[in-house]
Amino acid sequence: MQDISLHLLDIIENSARANAANIWIEIKVEIMKNILTIHVRDDGDGMDEETLEKAQSPFYTSKSARKKKVGLGIPLFEQHAQMCDGDFTMISKPNVGTELTARFRFDHVDRMPLGDIATTIVSSILGHPEIDFHINLSRKVIDDKEFTYELSTAEIKAELGDIPLSYPDVINYLNETIKEGINKTKMEEI
Amino acid sequence: MKTLEDLRKIREKAQSEMKTRDQKARVKIVVGMGTSGIAMGAREVMKAILDEVAKRNLDDVLVTQTGEKGLSSMEPVVDVIEEGKPTVTYGNMNPEKARKVIAEHIVNGKVVNDYVVATQS
Repeated sequence: MQDISLHLLDIIENSARANAANIWIEIKVEIMKNILTIHVRDDGDGMDEETLEKAQSPFYTSKSARKKKVGLGIPLFEQHAQMCDGDFTMISKPNVGTELTARFRFDHVDRMPLGDIATTIVSSILGHPEIDFHINLSRKVIDDKEFTYELSTAEIKAELGDIPLSYPDVINYLNETIKEGINKTKMEEI
Repeated sequence: MKTLEDLRKIREKAQSEMKTRDQKARVKIVVGMGTSGIAMGAREVMKAILDEVAKRNLDDVLVTQTGEKGLSSMEPVVDVIEEGKPTVTYGNMNPEKARKVIAEHIVNGKVVNDYVVATQS
């Protein structure tokens, strides 16, 4: 995975596979604290303690279609966070959901770029019409000044009624609104 | 600024279009988005497909994504599912190939045999 947005997509897929009805995604840049935080929470199946521990091992996967039992998604993301003075935590409860936080030192030379967040978000929203996504982007700069952007697909779906999300004009709408959010929070250049 | 008002307009337009034909999607495209698929570029394939669907105004196509399917060595993988026809699985996809599949298979109805890795009824 070359950038954070690809890891994020991978994490979202985990939540989808755990039958989440809602996924909350928060991307936060705090310039004065020099921290980039990626926070993903879902209300899916969750994991017991044993499974949670195994999920962080490279030799575990929940994917039954796999012949070779390797699961690198979470261990790689964790490694990337730790490589740049960050940290990684994952908490989970059966039938409640899973919550994952990865923090990176913002100006660390080895920190992966954020990458194409817009495509990750749009493709996840369209790829999982059954899931409601709650996106929150924020950039906190000097004097606690904050630029934020929020998007909830529940609102969008209510407005659309029975029109599918992959209807051409809706694809364009989603692309544009998310681009506006990324510009507003200046996430395109990190 | 994009607002909910824009969505209302889209809905009205879509509803008036849908009155004139069958509501159901004619074809479903499913992109495999497991860890290995993502690492091999599945997201860019998805992006190209969505871009073509929007550009060509293919309003009877449903695009979605799924997890791993055990075809890791052929990622990125794309399924094309049409009612009454065998499901076609394309493998080793990239954005360029995906655009070709949209043009030839989805629009013109001709399977792109060079990229097919499996078919299944």
